[in-house]
Amino acid sequence: MTSTIESQPQSDQQTRHVRVAVIGSGFAGLGMAIRLRAQGVEDLVVLERGDDVGGTWRDNTYPGAACDVQSNLYSFSFAPNPEWPRTYSEQPEILAYLQDVARRFDVLRHHVFGAEVTEARWDAAAARWQVRTSAGDFSAQVLISAAGALADPSYPDIPGIEDFAGTVMHSARWDADHDLTGERVAVVGTGASAIQVVPSIQPVAGSVTVYQRTPPWVIPRGDRPTTAFERALYRRVPLVQKAVRGVLYAAREFLAVGITKDPRFLAPVQKLARTHLERQVRDPQLRATLTPDYTIGCKRILISNDWYPAVTAPNAEVVNAGIAEIRPHSVVTRDGVERPTDTLVLATGFHVTDLPIAHRITGRGGRTLAEVWADGMTTNRGSTVAGFPNLFLLVGPNVGVGHTSMVYMIESQIGYVSKAVQAMDDEGLATLETTQAAQDDYRALVAERSAGTVWLEGGCGSWYLDEHGHNTTLWPDFTFRFRRLTRTLDRQNYVGTTADAREQVPA
Amino acid sequence: MTATTVQRTVHAVGTTDGARLHATVSGSPQAPVTLVLAHGWTLSQASWDDVAAELAPDLAEGSVRLVRYDQRGHGRSTWGEVADDDVEIDLLGEDLATVLAALVPTGPVVLGGHSMGGMTIMALAAAHPDLIGERVRGVALVDTSAGRLATPPRTAAERLQQRLLPRVSSWAVAHSRRVDGWRRRVPPTAPRHQALVRGLLYGSAATDAMVLRGAEIMSASSVRSFAAFYPALGRHDKAQALAALRAVPAEVLVGETDKLTPVRHAERLAAALPDAHLQVVPDCGHMLPQERPDLVAAAIRRLLEPW
Ligand SMILES: Cc1cc2nc3c(=O)[nH]c(=O)nc-3n(C[C@H](O)[C@H](O)[C@H](O)COP(=O)(O)OP(=O)(O)OC[C@H]3O[C@@H](n4cnc5c(N)ncnc54)[C@H](O)[C@@H]3O)c2cc1C
Repeated sequence: MTSTIESQPQSDQQTRHVRVAVIGSGFAGLGMAIRLRAQGVEDLVVLERGDDVGGTWRDNTYPGAACDVQSNLYSFSFAPNPEWPRTYSEQPEILAYLQDVARRFDVLRHHVFGAEVTEARWDAAAARWQVRTSAGDFSAQVLISAAGALADPSYPDIPGIEDFAGTVMHSARWDADHDLTGERVAVVGTGASAIQVVPSIQPVAGSVTVYQRTPPWVIPRGDRPTTAFERALYRRVPLVQKAVRGVLYAAREFLAVGITKDPRFLAPVQKLARTHLERQVRDPQLRATLTPDYTIGCKRILISNDWYPAVTAPNAEVVNAGIAEIRPHSVVTRDGVERPTDTLVLATGFHVTDLPIAHRITGRGGRTLAEVWADGMTTNRGSTVAGFPNLFLLVGPNVGVGHTSMVYMIESQIGYVSKAVQAMDDEGLATLETTQAAQDDYRALVAERSAGTVWLEGGCGSWYLDEHGHNTTLWPDFTFRFRRLTRTLDRQNYVGTTADAREQVPA
Repeated sequence: MTATTVQRTVHAVGTTDGARLHATVSGSPQAPVTLVLAHGWTLSQASWDDVAAELAPDLAEGSVRLVRYDQRGHGRSTWGEVADDDVEIDLLGEDLATVLAALVPTGPVVLGGHSMGGMTIMALAAAHPDLIGERVRGVALVDTSAGRLATPPRTAAERLQQRLLPRVSSWAVAHSRRVDGWRRRVPPTAPRHQALVRGLLYGSAATDAMVLRGAEIMSASSVRSFAAFYPALGRHDKAQALAALRAVPAEVLVGETDKLTPVRHAERLAAALPDAHLQVVPDCGHMLPQERPDLVAAAIRRLLEPW
């Protein structure tokens, strides 16, 4: 996909000045751009390092990539799609949806593709963000980072991995041209991506060995093609689809009771998962290997009907001995077993608690977001950070959810940020910055809500928790509470300066 | 880093009728000889785990390569297109030939078979006598028989049982989901379950851990494998075919209190094979690979000795 000429940076490397710059064009960046345009912000650029919109759904093209939330819920509220082919969509359909939304709402012309943001620095004198990208420099009054929480693949630090002579692929950087037919494939990891990719490659691969650290809880996937009748009904009576969306939302929010309030409410879900395992895996020893030792919900609950059949297939194997080293043509586990391997698939997730973009954004006083966050990622409402005027984060800390659609959280934040931008317009502000006090309050609120959650109580380590064991990624309450918190701008938690007043404010 | 490592690969070996046989190969591809182990009825290759552990040093030093596989319809192996009524031990013999062709196409081979796995070897020998001596250089026959397992019914109750069994089996297969539900309710960890398994299969010297492990392996088997192979075992008769095995040394082992393939079956095997060494192991039942993996491994080592 290409952007139109007008949005391309000048070839003479001049800095392009815009009102708002958005980093990233996944669900968050796209939705933000659409919203800003709707409220009249036309001086807008979306900086995307990839060559297309879609984010997660552009990058994760591994076979079997699909969404774990029903499409009626995992989509923009303002852009319902009556044509979803299945209950749960696969990656190509979601990508096509996002491409279509970008076209329909006419935001592609604001995009600059191939623009990787390498540095964004607050220029106090100009009261602007100076943004360097691989496609030229930009300056923006407002910077919105929608760079994604699951956008930068995390590679495991296994001795010898650089010397592996076969093919290495991260699930989020799949090489479709590489043919796995007949190959001995090693899959590292048993998270959300692994349980989708393994069933897709097992039938063609010569053998599949899954290296497991901690098994996931897996529940059945109630997936089916949508009927022509449903699609026609959704087309003609959009209210019906809206109602279905509401029901799905409510049903999933019940899970939040068990996950965030009292893990005892998860007992029936855990029973469902256990029965699913016992039905699909006969061998008690393998069953034991695949049975988690933590409460369900502590890590992301996965849904699949074909994961267990795939790992019990005649050419498959689950190994939990732990990888000791990788040799040019094999993987060696701690028990001294060496498995000759042609291709290494790393389904090892993403940099979540150490977001790369945080190292690239430098606020007031020359400190990067990563430096400020060294003792934990604190924010006001997951969206703003003291010391970083005019910076807004989408899918920032504690905005993640595992039990329902991220799009709901993203839309909550988009509303919040658009109101902040609106307030700057209305009040004629040059800068808007949250306060340390607001941030401390919000941190206390998150900590208090996190206290009883299954992520902290469930007896597991997960990517949800940072190195100190604090929950800095997930929203620890009902999602409608987050929406309520972000419905209006908490103006009292912000300091704003007008262009005239700014001269007196020390940088 | 890891000092000595042992190579391992998994394979799905395809048969002509579309079954996929799950096989695990361990040890160096350069090893001078390959040992192929076939397991018994309603078990899986896991029943050889203890013997494999005994042989671990041999695998590590590269003196032997080990192939274990799940028989058709057992463990991870699929059924293929065979109808239940057509299931015969001969089919398992063909499967073994297929495994050999796929995974051990050259070099000397020693075969080990436990119970139905021993019968599998006899079926292979009957159908492919050319392989014996040429490729297959020794056989270990553990708790197994050349035939006449189904004793004629003597009492009215036994006659009734024999008449009803096929119907019970086919009902169980048809309702295997429900039967599996019941099986789940009396898991291998249940004392009742273990008492049954111990009484049927193990000798007095067996530990609870052995019984539990055996019960676990069996509980992984399907109702269908139980029902489909039961009649085939009754029809198994390879007394004549043993002639093909006369060309190679044989180790014949049996537990003294084996109830499924009692000692007389092992004696018959040893009598028919001129180069056979018979061991009757006291206080043991039908599960020697678990009850006395050391003795089974020692017997196998004697067969491997020439290499
Ligand atoms: C395999 C997988 C499955 C998932 N399944 C679900 C699910 O079932 N349900 C659910 O709710 N969520 C799911 N998610 C989470 C998913 O990431 C979110 O739902 C949502 O897509 C996030 O959108 P985003 O716009 O915040 O981030 P992304 O979609 O990651 O978009 C971020 C964009 O920013 C760009 N970018 C990053 N850094 C820079 C930079 N420095 N300069 C320029 N551009 C940059 C990236 O290229 C990317 O296009 C899944 C994620 C993955 C990876």
